[in-house]
Amino acid sequence: MYIEKRKVTRKEIKRISFKINIIIVIVFAVIFFVFWNRQIIQNQYYSTLASRNIRKYLGVKAPRGFIRDRNGKALAENKLNFGLFLIRENTDNINRSIDFASSLLKVERDVIARRVEKYKEYPEFFMIPLRKNVSLDKIIYVESRSGELPEFKIAIEPARTYPHQKTASHILGYLSELTAAELKREKDDGYKLGDQIGKSGIEKKYEKYLRGRDGLQTVVKDNLGMIREKVGEKTPEIGNTVVLTIDIELQKFIEDLFKDYRGTAGVVDLTTGGILALISTPNFNPEFFSATFNREEWLSLVNNPDKPLHNKFTQGQYSPGSVFKILMTLAGLQEKIITPSTLSYCSGTVRIYGDIRRCWKSGGHGTMNIYDAIKNSCNIYFYRLGKKIDIDILGRTARHFGLGARTGIDLPNESSGLVPSRTWKLENKGEKWFPGDTISISIGHGMLDVTPVQILSMISTVALRGKKPVLHLLKMIEKEGRVLLEFKPEFEQVPIDKKNFEILIEGLFRVVNGGGTGWAAAVKGLDICGKTGTGQIISKDNPDYKELVKQDRFRPHSWFASFAPRDNPKIAMVVFIENGGDAGRIAAPLARKIYKKIFPTH
Amino acid sequence: MKGIFASDKVKYFDKITFAVLLLLSILGVILIYSASHNTNQSYYFKQYLWLSFSIVVFFVVFSVKIEKIFDYCFYIYGILVAILVIQIAAGQITSGTRSWIKTGFFSIQISEFVKVCLAICLARMCTGISTIGWKDFFKLLIVIGVPFLLIAAQPDLGTAFMLTSFFLMLVFLKGIRASIVIITITILLGLSFSTWNYVLKPYQKDRLTAFLNPEKYRKSTGYQIIQSKIAIGSGGLSGKGYLKGTQSRYKFLPTRHTDFIVSVLGEEFGFLGISFLLLLFFLLFYRQFNLQKCRSDEEFYFVYLFNGLILFQFLINILVSIGLFPVLGVPLPFVSYGGSSLLALFVGEALVFRVKINHYLP
Repeated sequence: MYIEKRKVTRKEIKRISFKINIIIVIVFAVIFFVFWNRQIIQNQYYSTLASRNIRKYLGVKAPRGFIRDRNGKALAENKLNFGLFLIRENTDNINRSIDFASSLLKVERDVIARRVEKYKEYPEFFMIPLRKNVSLDKIIYVESRSGELPEFKIAIEPARTYPHQKTASHILGYLSELTAAELKREKDDGYKLGDQIGKSGIEKKYEKYLRGRDGLQTVVKDNLGMIREKVGEKTPEIGNTVVLTIDIELQKFIEDLFKDYRGTAGVVDLTTGGILALISTPNFNPEFFSATFNREEWLSLVNNPDKPLHNKFTQGQYSPGSVFKILMTLAGLQEKIITPSTLSYCSGTVRIYGDIRRCWKSGGHGTMNIYDAIKNSCNIYFYRLGKKIDIDILGRTARHFGLGARTGIDLPNESSGLVPSRTWKLENKGEKWFPGDTISISIGHGMLDVTPVQILSMISTVALRGKKPVLHLLKMIEKEGRVLLEFKPEFEQVPIDKKNFEILIEGLFRVVNGGGTGWAAAVKGLDICGKTGTGQIISKDNPDYKELVKQDRFRPHSWFASFAPRDNPKIAMVVFIENGGDAGRIAAPLARKIYKKIFPTH
Repeated sequence: MKGIFASDKVKYFDKITFAVLLLLSILGVILIYSASHNTNQSYYFKQYLWLSFSIVVFFVVFSVKIEKIFDYCFYIYGILVAILVIQIAAGQITSGTRSWIKTGFFSIQISEFVKVCLAICLARMCTGISTIGWKDFFKLLIVIGVPFLLIAAQPDLGTAFMLTSFFLMLVFLKGIRASIVIITITILLGLSFSTWNYVLKPYQKDRLTAFLNPEKYRKSTGYQIIQSKIAIGSGGLSGKGYLKGTQSRYKFLPTRHTDFIVSVLGEEFGFLGISFLLLLFFLLFYRQFNLQKCRSDEEFYFVYLFNGLILFQFLINILVSIGLFPVLGVPLPFVSYGGSSLLALFVGEALVFRVKINHYLP
């Protein structure tokens, strides 16, 4: 039964509702403020987190541009490659995943752990490349267990391939993953960890043209990481095609000739300055670098005493030997120290500044003019010339022809060689220049270092009677079949009178065709002009010379610099054999074979 | 006995507050649709049916003389407690869930009705108390404690925890002897300490403390809190648009149709949407707590106890959503999905509406 019980007065009701109203107002004010703070003040922060939740960016690797030879033959292209990737967000236990990868790839756990660690600043969904070129059995193993191994993914990516393998490896260079330092430097250009970059050769020099633009898919994912929508797509763009002046057939032919030699050679088309062939042996397979992360294999190449990665043509620095007599002749004629009628008697030895200097021919050459001195490469003639010539004038002439500085050929890491001067010696050796120093230099020894490409530049300039070509490998850059950039031949005039070139060239002609030191290079009807050189590694004055020279390492280097034909020259070349010994017998016949290949009708 | 549409009842019926309740419930259906339309569950439709049924029941309850209900409240209490006991016993045997009575398409959660019944019983008990002394304290403790333990054992800690709001409201209304407060707090501290150290397993502790540092438990317990905060925060002023909330649509928000419904609102309708919700709740509390006069004390106390429960539940739900309270599993009154909850709330509110007009009636 309901009983009326009223004790709570109206006044009390008012008091209680007043209190509860205050509580409600406070509660609502606080809640209102918190939402205000979260939704209005901190909106930016939470919006970022929300889009980070759903956004996923999938990179699509762009294929690299092709490299072709002058006839359009492929020197570098792309193939499909299966890579193994690790996606951290799909694993509960990263250590177990690393253990698994280690046993699958048969790579030390530490190597993989360090690799994964490098990616710690990348988002969890980033596909970390663990290995390229995964073998078929491993692909099947991983793919068939995708349920148990959600963190591993096999993906197809374009990979670099070089159809001619080792051929032209020094020209093409190789690709490898960016190092941490390179990454820091190139970050603004969009390089990511694990991307490959050209490390040498054309791959490095024309990196920015060859590199494609990676594609990017922007997708929306749900809480399970499943892709729900595609919101944006930038398709990958292949890099530009780089066409070289190289003729791969000639390149291969010369590399075959050099199979048993350590050396280098360069052939240039004198009408343009474009390099037709450039070889350096031993060579390497550039594909090796882009396919593996194996450190040991890499070190074995780097530490090989024959330095297969070293491009001898642009990076090797040697004594030019008698090849330098070309510049002595030009300097002497230009400075009017000698004329064609200047005679000099060679008895085999000469005493200069108190030292006995020898000619290479112990019996001597007899009385010689400049033509015969070049033809026979007579040391005595040039010693006497060296006595009268100032080192700084000689140095300036040498530099005009490209010695002592980088030629600027489009290959990275070119060496600059050395052409000395008085100041150079004072600064670097702390001594003043002695007249005897010039004497050694006058036959291409002493404080003189040249690279084969500098000699090629010099002989080309001689062939063109003072027009120094810019040596280059790039013919043009193409984008989807149309020319983006074309190399325009450039020549620089050297301040030497044309008549002096003709005197020199008569001498160089006799070297090959007049029974001179380069006779073995002669091709009938081709009018080859050239100069041999034998770059001593140890001095003939060394008491043990006769013994040491029997050892391969101490045998002198062989040079042969030449061009043809004599009038309207088309081709210049330098052949250089490390420790080859007598240039006339080693380098000159190789040059002959190359000329026969280039001018098959002769 | 006059009919439902008797002129005085219509005249004094609180139309504004009823409109508020309807708006809250309809907002609920709208948000539940957004939260679940891309799943294979038709929660919004069920909620819509429950709402229709609840409104009918509301008017039925509103039109009866509530004195009868108040008189029989302890019997109803007894029956409900008995059902809870049976559920637990049955649950022990089948080791299934214990909190639902399954009736085909719908299922009924008894604990929701316990809340309403308990509010009436406590209001009744209140009339005899001036300030809560030891004897009153123990009586109240038993009446609240029995269903509390039974519901907690289901286990439904969220609902059980809501019953403690009655204690707070009783203290607010009646005052309490200081010695009881001191001793209770001491015992509670002791209990918490020993529970924390000897009873709770580490994962349970994590659940309780995750809200303090959700980043630490990013992949486990803290996940819900972080995702809810992101949803609300990323809503901005006017939200991402209906059905366009990425947190909700791509299922980053957990239990978004029940405990985290506010996060869906905050994400899709932004600060404006939240303000609208707060306005509705403010109106509700403002109007329900401001009685000018009352026919009897027990009716007065019931209004405070029942609306106090709603206020408490509202507050806890909001605090959980914004990451200021441990995740307990407390739905937002009228808005969150849950038919039993909605029905029980409308039954309770029907009684409140009736109380508000009773003193006008003869």
